[in-house]
Amino acid sequence: MIRHIFRKDIALGPRSPLLLWALVLPVVLTLVIRVVFGSLFDSEPRLGIVDLGDSAVRVAAEDLEGISVSVLKDIETLRAQVESGNLDAGLVLQEGFDDLVANGDQPPLGFWMAGESLASDRIILGVTALDLIRTTSGIGSPVAVNIVPIGEEGLELSIRLLPLVVIMAVAIAGTMVPAASLVQEKERRTLSALLVSPATMRDVLAAKGILGVVLAVVTGVITLVMNDAFGQQAWTLVLAIAIGGVMMAEIGLMLGSWAPDTNTLFTAWKGGSILLLFPVIFTIWPTLPQWIAKLGPTYYFLQPIFDLSVNGATTSDVLGQLGIAAVICVALLPFVGMAGRSLERRLAGQTRPSPVAN
Amino acid sequence: MNTSAIKAIISKDVRAFTRDRFYLFMTFLGLAFYVGIFWFLPDTVNETIEMGISQQGLEAYFDTLVEEDGGLALASFESAEALESAIRSGDGPAVGLAFPSDFAASVADGAGTEVTLFVTSAVPAEVRGALSSMVREMAYLAAGNPALVVLPTETEILLGTDRAGDQASLQETMRPMFVFFMLMIEMMALATLVATEIQTRTVTAILVTPASVSDVLVAKAVLGTVLAFSQAVLLMALIGSFGANSLVLLFALLLGSILVTGFGLWAGSVGRDFLSIIYWSVLFLIPLIIPAIAVLFPGTAAAWVQAMPSWGLVEAIVGASAYGDGFGELAGPLTHLGIWCVAAFFAGMLALRRKVVRI
Repeated sequence: MIRHIFRKDIALGPRSPLLLWALVLPVVLTLVIRVVFGSLFDSEPRLGIVDLGDSAVRVAAEDLEGISVSVLKDIETLRAQVESGNLDAGLVLQEGFDDLVANGDQPPLGFWMAGESLASDRIILGVTALDLIRTTSGIGSPVAVNIVPIGEEGLELSIRLLPLVVIMAVAIAGTMVPAASLVQEKERRTLSALLVSPATMRDVLAAKGILGVVLAVVTGVITLVMNDAFGQQAWTLVLAIAIGGVMMAEIGLMLGSWAPDTNTLFTAWKGGSILLLFPVIFTIWPTLPQWIAKLGPTYYFLQPIFDLSVNGATTSDVLGQLGIAAVICVALLPFVGMAGRSLERRLAGQTRPSPVAN
Repeated sequence: MNTSAIKAIISKDVRAFTRDRFYLFMTFLGLAFYVGIFWFLPDTVNETIEMGISQQGLEAYFDTLVEEDGGLALASFESAEALESAIRSGDGPAVGLAFPSDFAASVADGAGTEVTLFVTSAVPAEVRGALSSMVREMAYLAAGNPALVVLPTETEILLGTDRAGDQASLQETMRPMFVFFMLMIEMMALATLVATEIQTRTVTAILVTPASVSDVLVAKAVLGTVLAFSQAVLLMALIGSFGANSLVLLFALLLGSILVTGFGLWAGSVGRDFLSIIYWSVLFLIPLIIPAIAVLFPGTAAAWVQAMPSWGLVEAIVGASAYGDGFGELAGPLTHLGIWCVAAFFAGMLALRRKVVRI
């Protein structure tokens, strides 16, 4: 019976905007985080070069670390790009520039800065350009710079946002799909029709729950693959996502059993989802006290996913946390059963014929 | 046109809106959330490289450097050890240069010397590279070598409006995004009202009263615009956006409200229930939000971004609130927004009219 209900939900699923949204959301979020957060907060100074000869300066500039270099064809385009702020600086290397510098002819340097560029970027691009010209001309400087790194390398913001993308993917698919499916069945009265068939409430909940778990695993895996976070411990990662999917599906079933209509479901989700999502805040800002994150149930599958994907943890490193997540899943089962029985009673109350006055 | 019928329909819809827990909750939650986030965002742009320095006899060079380039702030330390210790403790700057005491003499003699650059992981690669370059250039010139190239003058080098020290902060560039999300909530609320009326056939009941189809359309359009406009104005007031050019901003917000009302009427006409309304609204949201994201990045938006219906609204909000632009400077974006407004509004009205007439 569970199989029949599951197959019905799968067959009707593609018509549901929520299912489509659950599948599209991880892709959209990944793109947004990659494009916006990947470059917005770590934006590199942008240098445009027009090389009218075949200058070694241009070749060396293209290898610069931390500076975005674009080679343009003509001076007018370069000037327009700098003026509009699409480039922070523009460098024109005239024909035979390298020879003129090497011969000590002091050629005029075609160099522009964008008015919109940051003052710090102006310094960076200015001194870098002069240093490049000198070093590529084979003229040395009487000083060596010894770089001493201090402290450990931190993780990029786009990587620290990975748990947020994962929880959104797993929670929307795992929680909202079964919850919305249950609520819609209630609204359309098809749930009552199902329950007069040999299917029990347990079958209905199990089928909807399995749908949520399957979708959560699929979207979770897609998210990790898109974020290049599918590390060495692939099966442990899938296990962590599956445990997370089960936890989210159980919460979805309780929510769907309780909510009388779609509006209430979404209101509850918007208001209450912070309780599920808050552990990700502590990965985004690692300086916050990390013990607070452990108060959230989702921490126990999100942290292993993060550790396995980013921090190079092994299966044995995360087994303890995954064990706690599994215990939470088991502990939630009686509550899912209670929510189902409560829903059954409410449905029975609605379908019972009203007393007729004699 | 029956004014009393329009008023009656609007007051009925206002009651329906206030009874809808989701949109009422989302309106207040959204307002509180965006206002809260806004005041947490940085209100200035850090354009300065803050650097610690340990040196002897190079004061004149660094004083000139700081004076000429506003992008450098220096903190002096007595020794390399003191500088390193301050960086390690996190109390000092994230980057520091330690010059040997005989630096000037060594480079003047042509003898090699070494400068230590302390950097934490927070220092980006380009800053590390630039500081190394700066030291090498400094030593090269200090050794009495001639400049390799003739640099352009300060007036020749700078193109466009000089925004150094006057950059739009993240707070200012995020304003359109917040307004946009607020307008979207109201667009979805209007779409849900319209869709519910169509699905429950309330609109048919209204049409057997003296109210005409035009009255229904006008009532929905007015309600949608007023809802969106009032929320947008309230949000902008709470995030301190109204200044010298309030009139331009209000005009842009009014046009933006009409724009999303057009899309809301459209989504309400094609959507069947709550979920399909969200689906259609998100389909509209994705292209409409692109200009608000584009403005976060430096430079001019690509031509296809500038063709988006919401580009004019975003430009007008940033221009009026961050740079103090008036009607003259924003004539282009406002005209663009106005054209899209008319198009979206009539498309929405047409979609709703067809739906109402059919049922």
